[in-house]
Amino acid sequence: MRVLRSGIRKLARRPATYLTFGLLAGLLVLIILAVAASGGQGGDGGGGGGGGRPEALLLLTFPGAYTLILQFVLGLGGLFAVIFGAAVAGSEWGWGTLKMAVARGESRSRYILLTFGAVSAFLVVGLLVSFGAGVLAAFVGANIAGVSTDGVGDADTLRKLPEEFARGWFAMTEQCAIGFAVATLARSQLAGIGIGIALYFGETFAGIFLPDIVRYMPFNVANAALGNTGGFQGGPDPVSQATAMLLVATWLFGSLLVAAVFTERAEITG
Amino acid sequence: MTASADGLALATRDVRKSYGSRVALNGLNLSVPAGVVYGFLGPNGAGKTTTMRLLTGLLHPDGGSIEVLGRPFGRRDRKRLFEVGALIESPSFYPFLNARENLRAMGATGARTTTARIEELLDLVGLQERATDKVGGYSLGMKQRLGIASALLSDPKLLLLDEPANGLDPAGIVAMRETLQHLASTGKTVFVSSHLLAEVQQMADVIGIIAAGKLVKEGSMEALLQGEDAIKVRVAADQVATARELLGRLPNPGAVEVSDEIPGWLTVRIGAERAGEINQVLAEGGIYASRLEAGSQLEELFLSLTADESASHEGTFQGIR
Repeated sequence: MRVLRSGIRKLARRPATYLTFGLLAGLLVLIILAVAASGGQGGDGGGGGGGGRPEALLLLTFPGAYTLILQFVLGLGGLFAVIFGAAVAGSEWGWGTLKMAVARGESRSRYILLTFGAVSAFLVVGLLVSFGAGVLAAFVGANIAGVSTDGVGDADTLRKLPEEFARGWFAMTEQCAIGFAVATLARSQLAGIGIGIALYFGETFAGIFLPDIVRYMPFNVANAALGNTGGFQGGPDPVSQATAMLLVATWLFGSLLVAAVFTERAEITG
Repeated sequence: MTASADGLALATRDVRKSYGSRVALNGLNLSVPAGVVYGFLGPNGAGKTTTMRLLTGLLHPDGGSIEVLGRPFGRRDRKRLFEVGALIESPSFYPFLNARENLRAMGATGARTTTARIEELLDLVGLQERATDKVGGYSLGMKQRLGIASALLSDPKLLLLDEPANGLDPAGIVAMRETLQHLASTGKTVFVSSHLLAEVQQMADVIGIIAAGKLVKEGSMEALLQGEDAIKVRVAADQVATARELLGRLPNPGAVEVSDEIPGWLTVRIGAERAGEINQVLAEGGIYASRLEAGSQLEELFLSLTADESASHEGTFQGIR
């Protein structure tokens, strides 16, 4: 528990934590406020060829806005999770702090797994903060755009949110574990982030050519676990949500196993 | 237990380690007595850091055995390191945390560490006033001091320090030397790898010299330097021959050698305490020495033992010619 508590304290003091979740929340707020601003003008102008505008305003229309904001956070958050996981794991090697822990007699695999445990705990906080910022922005945006906010307290939607949130956190944790494992194998923060991003986008593009395989790959199953129906036309058909959850768990534990076994057996020379 | 039955805090027996085809250690046999400062010396690439990494479980040997504090140390014996403190290569910290937070983060791993111990160590290494500054902004010397503090966190019985004087100012070096000697006087064992031979000579009780992955000499400083005493004398270049003759007349004189490289320098192989006699003999002969230096005997011993190995192993820094 000491290592886990220490991991959480370290992440709480780490600028990368605030940069990652700040960017996610900031982007979300900017988009929502942009939608609000353009939607408001469209309403004032009385239509005028803005076919997309009413659809964009759904982002400001409660209770549906809750789900859309959560989907947005989880969708874009996947990429941020990969980067965050890679940054934390890679820096342990790059800064030599893993070396120090091992030289103090700490168990290598325990240290790595508990470090990831701290990252995973921060994903919950990051998700909550980003989602909260998004909801607040949507509420403000709705007022700017003149959209009714009557649905904010919709009991049925609010009741479903925790489950969707938990599923989303699980999927994001899996994506974070991919970045974490990649950076561990690369023993480098920068290489881990670079390879993690390449895998994230590579999987999306590979879906065009190998849809039957890619639908089982980590980022696709994470997307499917959230109930999303594929990123773009021509992409693979997502697996069912139940299968996706199983595959997410497999990728998550598989990634952590790879990271732990690699660290356990690694010759630490840096 | 702090030492084996034969009084050793640390021992390696025929330890071998290779990186691919490159042999780093080729049957290393170290015997580090408990309660001493042990100076571990060797040219670049001789295998010092590899040895340090093996002793802290960062690497595992290809063959041979290691004993730490009287018990075998292998892959499954990581808890043995709870009684060992180490500073290996450059000190490693989280740049975004301050000194106190870094020590707390280190203390969360391995042996349990108290807050009081962290404060005590911040005082010891003189970082109390800068304890709330982020380590990313520290100078090399400050990081080094923090590294020494982190090595001492668990009040170890065995301390392994790789180039601990790196980046320290002269006062810091003196303080470090005194601290390490004090630790040894309390029964702890201090194993120090260093390139600063004069520093090691002042600090270490026992030394081991490694070259090309093998131990080439080991023993107490006193025993190893016996017969290695030397005084260097500088006179005017045209007085060298006369000076040589005069110095040869000293009672129980050591060999007198004339430097081929720098005109005017002679080396007399006698103890440093006889520098006054040299001065007197020369003055009575009408020669006034412009410099008189007790040679760094350890340096001479080191170079005589490692010159070939260092040149063949990694190449030698040639300097200005």
